[in-house]
Amino acid sequence: MKKVLALFLVSILFLAACSSGSSKDTSGETKDSNEITVWAWDPNFNIKAMNLAKDAYKSDNPDLEIKIIENAQDDIIQKLNTSLSSGTTKGLPNIVLIEDYRAQSFLQAYPDMFHELTGTFNSDDFAQYKIAPTSVDGKNYGLPFDTGVSGLYVRTDYLEQAGYTVEDLQNMDWKKYIEIGKKVKEATGKHMLTQDPNDLGLIRMMIQSAGSWYLKDDGKTPNLAGNEALKVAFETYKEILDADLVKPISDWSQFLAGFNSGDVATVPTGNWITPSIKAEASQAGKWAVVAHPRLPGVPESVNASNLGGSSWYVLNVPGKEDAADFLAKTFGSNVEFYQTINKEIGAIGTFKPAADGEAYQAGDDFFGGQKIIADFAAWTEQIPQINYGLHTYAIEDILAVEAQNYIKGKDLDKALEDAQKQAEAQVK
Amino acid sequence: MITVKTKQNIQPMHSTRSLRMKNTAIGWSFIAIATVLICLFYFYPMVQALIMSMQSGTGTNLTFVGLDNYARLLQDPTFLTTVKNTVIYLIIQVPIMIILALFISVLLNDKTLKLKGVFRTAIFLPCVTSLVAYSVIFKYLFGQDGIINIFLLKLSIISEPIQWLTDPFWAKVAIIVAITWRWTGYNMIFYLSALQNIDHSIYEAAKMDGASPFQIFFKITIPLLKPIILFTSITSTIGTLQLFDEVMNITQGGPGNATITISQYIYNLSFKYTPDFGYAATVSYAIVIMIVIFSIFQFKVAGDKNA
Repeated sequence: MKKVLALFLVSILFLAACSSGSSKDTSGETKDSNEITVWAWDPNFNIKAMNLAKDAYKSDNPDLEIKIIENAQDDIIQKLNTSLSSGTTKGLPNIVLIEDYRAQSFLQAYPDMFHELTGTFNSDDFAQYKIAPTSVDGKNYGLPFDTGVSGLYVRTDYLEQAGYTVEDLQNMDWKKYIEIGKKVKEATGKHMLTQDPNDLGLIRMMIQSAGSWYLKDDGKTPNLAGNEALKVAFETYKEILDADLVKPISDWSQFLAGFNSGDVATVPTGNWITPSIKAEASQAGKWAVVAHPRLPGVPESVNASNLGGSSWYVLNVPGKEDAADFLAKTFGSNVEFYQTINKEIGAIGTFKPAADGEAYQAGDDFFGGQKIIADFAAWTEQIPQINYGLHTYAIEDILAVEAQNYIKGKDLDKALEDAQKQAEAQVK
Repeated sequence: MITVKTKQNIQPMHSTRSLRMKNTAIGWSFIAIATVLICLFYFYPMVQALIMSMQSGTGTNLTFVGLDNYARLLQDPTFLTTVKNTVIYLIIQVPIMIILALFISVLLNDKTLKLKGVFRTAIFLPCVTSLVAYSVIFKYLFGQDGIINIFLLKLSIISEPIQWLTDPFWAKVAIIVAITWRWTGYNMIFYLSALQNIDHSIYEAAKMDGASPFQIFFKITIPLLKPIILFTSITSTIGTLQLFDEVMNITQGGPGNATITISQYIYNLSFKYTPDFGYAATVSYAIVIMIVIFSIFQFKVAGDKNA
C-alpha cells in the first residue's frame, strides 16, 4: 500500500517536473524572423493608424510581414499580465499599445520584458509630457503615439440661445463654466455635461492642468491629503453637480448618446472624441472647440490638459529589432505619415515636426471652419508634464468612494485624508 | 507432520495475500489517473496559491512577506466593503430566490396545470443565457433612459427617473434583481425533481385527514424537501460569494464601490491596478475560508448529517 502510494507521489512530482520543464522549452522557441505581430484596440483609430504605418513601411521594406490584431484594451492588459507574470513570452506580440496611465505599472512590474528604444528615435521631437510615462530611469521604452490633449467641445447654438458666443468661453476657468452652464440650463433646459460617477476623468484633467497628480513626482507616494489642486478640483466637481449641470450616465455608449442626441451643451474630454462627435452629421456646424477650462484660484493651472493617450511598446521577444525599426521609421520620424493619419482618421500624434504640415493647418467645416487640429497641437505643447506613476487606477477607485462621501456631505479635508490613508496602505 | 502442516498452512495464506495485493493494485490503477490529474490540477495550484498569498510585490517582483498580506486584508477598507456588499447580496438575495423558486416549483407541480412544459421552459430559460449577455441587457433595462424608468414614469409611479446604476442603494437593488432573474429557474429545477419524488399517497392521506393546503405545504412538502433546500442554499451561497460577471458588466462595482464584490476586487488587484498577484491570492483564500465557514454553518443549522 505504502509503496504504491509512494509511487503515485513520485509520478505526480515527475509529471509536475515535466510540465514545468516543457513550458520553458516552448518559450525559447524562435519565431519566424520575417513576421512581427501588433496588438492594439479601437479599430477606427489605433488599428487604422497601424495599418497606414504598415503601408508606409512596406514600400521600403517589403520583406517584413506585419500582422495587426485587434483586441479590447482590457483583454490586452489581461493577456500581458498573465503571460508576463508566468514568465512565458510565447503568444505575445512584438509591438503592443499601452495606455500612458498604465505604462509605468507594466514597465516596473515586468523589468527586462520590454525592449529599450532609446536611440531609435529622437525624444526631443515628441511632446515632453509623453516622455516621463514612457521611460524608466531615463531610458525610453515607449514610442509616444496619440495625444490625449483635451479641449472643451461646445454647442454654439445652445450658447447663442443663452446669449454667449464662443469668444466668451476662450481661456476661462471652471467658475465661469458653471456660471455659463446655469444660463444655458435656464435658456435651453439642457444639461451642461454627462458624468459617470465611476470615472473621475474630469478630476484627472483638472489636476493635470495644474501639473498635479494622484501621486508625487516619484510615481509611488500618494499625493491626496493637502493636494491643493485636487482639493479645488473636488470643490469644482461638487459645484457642477450642485448646480444640476450634470446628466448622470453609467457607461461609454450613454456618454456618446449624450452629445449625439443633443442632450448636453458641452463635452470636456480628449481630442480622440472628435470622430464620435462628427458621427452625428446633422449637428454639422453647431460645434466648436475651446481651450480646456483652468482651475479657479490655482495659479499653476493652465488652459490645457490631457485625458488618456497611449504609446507603442516593443516586447523583449525574437523579432524585437525588426519591430523597433518599423516603429522608428514610421511613428518615430515620418512627417509624411503623420499627415496621412491626420487626414484619414483625424489622429493627432505627439510628433512635433508634423505640426507644420498642411493637414494640421486645415479648417474643419463640422466645427464651423475652425482649425481644430492646429488648436489641439498648440494646446499639446502647454500640457504640464507629470509622472503618472504606478497606481493611477488603484487610487482612482479609492478616490471615487471618497468623492461619493464628499458629495453626500463629508468634510473635504477629512475625505482626502481618509483617501490618503487608504492609498498608502494599498500601494506600499 | 508438523513441518508439512505448516507448509500447507503457509501456502494458501501466501497466495491470498498476493491475490489481495493484486486486487489492490488493480483498484489503485483504476483511480490512479483521476488521482494524478486531481493532484496536478487542483491540489498543486492550491498549494502554489497558498505560497503566493504569502508574497507581495508588483508583477514578477514578488518577495516573501509571510502573513503580512493577511494582516493587510483585515485592515483593507476596500476588502471590508466587498465583504459587506457580498453579505448584503447573500442575506437578501438568497432567501428571496429560494422562496421564489420553492413557490414556483410547487405551482408548476400541480397535476391540473395545463401547458406545464411551456411555463417550465420559460422559467428555466434565463439559466441558459450567457452571463455577460444578460448582464448587458439588464444594464440597458436599468439605464437612466432605460425601459424600466420609462415604464415607471409613464405610469406616474415615480416623478423622476430612478438612478438605478449611479445611486449606491438602487445599484444594489438592480444587481439583486438581475441575479434573482438569472438563478431562480435553476434552483426551481432542483425542487421540481425533488417534488416529483415525493410519494403522492402522502398528500392523499393528508387530504383525507383534512389538512389545509398550507399545512400540506409547511408540514409535508418543506420537511421532505429539506435536503434539497439545504443543497440549493449552499450552492447559492457559494455562487454569491463568487459573484463577478453581473457586477462587472452592470455597474463595474460602482458607484464608488457600492456594488463591488470580492471576486471583482481580485480582478482589480490583478488586472486593473498595478498587478499584485500575491495579495490577490490572499483575497481568494479569504473566499475559500468564507465558503467553508458558511457551508459548515448551513449544515449545522439544517442539523441533518446525512444530507
